[in-house]
Amino acid sequence: MKTSIIRKALAGLVAAGTLLSVSACGLQGDAANSGSGSDSGDTVNIGVIYPKTGQYAEYGKLFQQGFDLAVEKVNKDGGVKGKKLGLKYFDTQSDAKQDAAVAPKLVADKSIIAVVGDYASPASAAASPTFQQAGLVHYGFNNSAPTFTETGDHVWTPQIGQDKYQKANADIVAKKAKKISVVYIENDWGKQAYQYFKEEAEKNGTQIVYESSYLPDSTDLSPILIPARDAKPDAVVDIGYGPDGALVINTLRDKLGYTGPYFGGQETKEFLDLAGKNAEGAIITGSFSATGTKDAKAQQFVKDFNAKYGNNPGNFEVTAYQAIIDLAYAANKTEPTREGIQKGLQTVTDFPLYQGNGGTFKFNLKNRRADNIEPILLIAKDGKFQQYEG
Amino acid sequence: MFDVLFAGVIHGSAYALVAVGMSLIFGVTNVANFAQGSIVAVGMMTAWWLGTTAGWGIVPTFIAVIVVTGLLGLVMNVAVIAPLEGRKPIAALLATIGVGQVLDNGLQMIFGPQTRPFPKLLPTYNLQFAGVRFGTSDVVMVILAIVSMLGLWAFLKYGKSGQAIRSTSQDPEAALQMGIPVKTIRNLSFVIGSVLAGVSGIFVGLFNANINPMNGGTIGMTAFVAATIGGLGSIPGAVVGGLVLGVVEAFGISLFGDGAHDLITFGALLIILILKPQGLLGPKNDVKSEPLTGTFLGGGRPIELPWWGNLIGAVALLATPFFFSDYLAGVGTQVAIYAIAAVGLTMISGSAGQTILGMAGPFAVGAYASALLTTQAHWPFLAALLAAGVIAAVAASILTFPVWKLSGHYVAIATIGVGAVMVAIIRLAEPITKGSLGIQGIPFPKVFGFTLYTQQMMYLLDIIVLLLTLVVVTRLRSTHLGRVFEAVGSDREASEALSIRTGAYKALAYALATFFAGLAGSLLAHQYTYIDPTIFNSNMSILILTIIVLGGMNSPIGALIGSVILIGAPELLRFATDARILLYGVLLVLVILFRPQGLFARKA
Repeated sequence: MKTSIIRKALAGLVAAGTLLSVSACGLQGDAANSGSGSDSGDTVNIGVIYPKTGQYAEYGKLFQQGFDLAVEKVNKDGGVKGKKLGLKYFDTQSDAKQDAAVAPKLVADKSIIAVVGDYASPASAAASPTFQQAGLVHYGFNNSAPTFTETGDHVWTPQIGQDKYQKANADIVAKKAKKISVVYIENDWGKQAYQYFKEEAEKNGTQIVYESSYLPDSTDLSPILIPARDAKPDAVVDIGYGPDGALVINTLRDKLGYTGPYFGGQETKEFLDLAGKNAEGAIITGSFSATGTKDAKAQQFVKDFNAKYGNNPGNFEVTAYQAIIDLAYAANKTEPTREGIQKGLQTVTDFPLYQGNGGTFKFNLKNRRADNIEPILLIAKDGKFQQYEG
Repeated sequence: MFDVLFAGVIHGSAYALVAVGMSLIFGVTNVANFAQGSIVAVGMMTAWWLGTTAGWGIVPTFIAVIVVTGLLGLVMNVAVIAPLEGRKPIAALLATIGVGQVLDNGLQMIFGPQTRPFPKLLPTYNLQFAGVRFGTSDVVMVILAIVSMLGLWAFLKYGKSGQAIRSTSQDPEAALQMGIPVKTIRNLSFVIGSVLAGVSGIFVGLFNANINPMNGGTIGMTAFVAATIGGLGSIPGAVVGGLVLGVVEAFGISLFGDGAHDLITFGALLIILILKPQGLLGPKNDVKSEPLTGTFLGGGRPIELPWWGNLIGAVALLATPFFFSDYLAGVGTQVAIYAIAAVGLTMISGSAGQTILGMAGPFAVGAYASALLTTQAHWPFLAALLAAGVIAAVAASILTFPVWKLSGHYVAIATIGVGAVMVAIIRLAEPITKGSLGIQGIPFPKVFGFTLYTQQMMYLLDIIVLLLTLVVVTRLRSTHLGRVFEAVGSDREASEALSIRTGAYKALAYALATFFAGLAGSLLAHQYTYIDPTIFNSNMSILILTIIVLGGMNSPIGALIGSVILIGAPELLRFATDARILLYGVLLVLVILFRPQGLFARKA
């Protein structure tokens, strides 16, 4: 017994020694030791951290459709400065623990010139410090939490801030209703979004007669929706995601017999399938409408998307698509390296814009967010979301 | 008012239906089946597929679900639970966690991840009462809950197999001598329990209307709470518990909002356990063998290394940050942080023999304490780290204080409640903790004026804390106090006879364990630089417990090895992206089956 332990310990030490001599690095990290710079390979990659499995897997699937289509387009148009653009996918389940664990792996892979993802802000934010420290751009294209980019100067997001979305949301609600009941999802996103909504609603003089949050995994919302209905509102507003939005409207309509207007839901097939007829007339804010967009390149995107996947793209697909196009555009204007991407995001002022009213956009260097993307309104009609002029 | 009550009763009968199956299995096999919720999900998804894609009606779907879940129960018992016969029931409990993971992720792989509408196999929302609409489906569900309760009761009381089931559960040896085929009877209990789960899956599907393959975990946990409130093992109790929970939730939520949902559910659990420890209708005499206590294999002894072995190990570990790549160091930080919490847990769950299922609670308190002390009060990191441990221990001890007068498995269940309540309080204490918004911009650890900004530096810090933890815990084990913990763990009654106050010593061991969980929480917070309540979920609690099961319940070094495997494994299994978490469950089951004493312990 003892000898075997000695042997094991010795083997361990020898192995450790070998590794040590092969790569004596110290504590400075990979970046400091390998003279960061461009790889000589002819493919550069964008690292993707996303939920392929787990509770957010549905969004992971939508993202991947957008990413894959975007990379195809970039490479068809000549790649990035002559190099082929690739994607390296890392499943994190949008779980902070896994994001933190996998982030150094992306940093260590020198072919990765920028990172996109994750779905949820807490998970994304757990990975940001690692990318920031390594000088790798973290492009949180889906992270609308207003504090998301505060980690450092390499953390960016083109996502419209919740302040803008919720201002637009409260404004359209004010047009239709004086007294409202509001429910919202109890997480960092929902909480923040509701704060913005409430501020604007107060400015507009809209009276909130009932409010409550709900946990994302609650299955019976009648205990909060009964008082919400009984407060006799002109409209019910839900600030949440797709499945819970469907649960709210289904409970209101099917179970509690509420017939008034509803503001809520999500532009996903999931929501529309789940809510069915109840979705009809639901109004939400969004950044993109496949049928309503008047921008030529966005219309081309819709056509390509349809050819590849057989359905129209929604907001999740278009933001994913746009994220890759943005980064490739930045790389083509500078160089396809980590430094190039960062410089591109700082200097380029005409990123092609697929969302909102199309055209181009640039970043605000103070908060590393896109200033001039405007939210649009969408309404569910005949089982589809269409652009709504208000 | 009346409509809220009514909504609560309907939701409660959905809980009741699932809880009946759970209570049955617990009552007759002494196994707390954590896979029960996942079997409900299997029934639900089978019915979804048959009802939509295949277009079957309610009757053939019903029969098909019975066949599928019945077979599943049989396979589960034969392959996983029966081989664990004769070992401490905690082995079976942990195996069911593994099975649950396999089922949940298997369902997601087969059916895809999206939430979907459940087919209307029976009319829903076609009736109205007190301003709330409900459907034939709900009526059938309530009737089914009552009928299955009465039917089971009559079967167990008067049926020949039912009587055999009861005698098997009371004394398997004696039952065998009386000519009862114990194996077959156990199979039968599992088949009945699974079929009940599967059938309730159909009705939960109809009730929830929107379903997801991953719903099993939540369904199982709530049913477990309902069954405990009613009295674990009591079948009428399961129904009463389900209804009580449904109604309490409905009123609590309509008063305080759904943001307080967890606080209401688990708060109700705690209050009932404290006021009426056996549950509302639980049997007066507590079960003799306590299913959730005891070390994994009674006599499993940790493998002890000689001092120089430990020294070499420590030096080798300390050397790793100097040649690990960013990636390895990043994984290493996670391994080390979880190992710190797990090593602490060996004190209470290993030595003192008390399974703790809510370690995420003190972990979260430590993380928040440290984050707030550094960002708000501008404490230096090291002081905040220590304070995080102390605060976690104090908070956990205060909340758990009334629990120690409970006996046996009710303590373990209460710790689930304590863990969940701690996180729920953090979520609601918004002025201090920022609630669901989370705390951002937590500084990297700063030690003597030097900021640790690389993965390797943080990893080195984590390892130093881990080694200190190992030294303290190993030293403690060989002190008088450590021996008392061992005595409490290996024979509670004998310890009481020696006038050792077992409850007090368990509380002390728990306080020590939560101190280390607090340290781990602090390290995690300063590495992520962002925390919010969703990080500290029940999966985290179960993960920490599983780590020490794997390594050997009372082996501190085993806890480290367990952490390397369980935190490292999902990374190693990255090649199998889809099946990653599924393989993880398989691994857990295999270890429990084939090396039950843990990896770093030898059989007695």
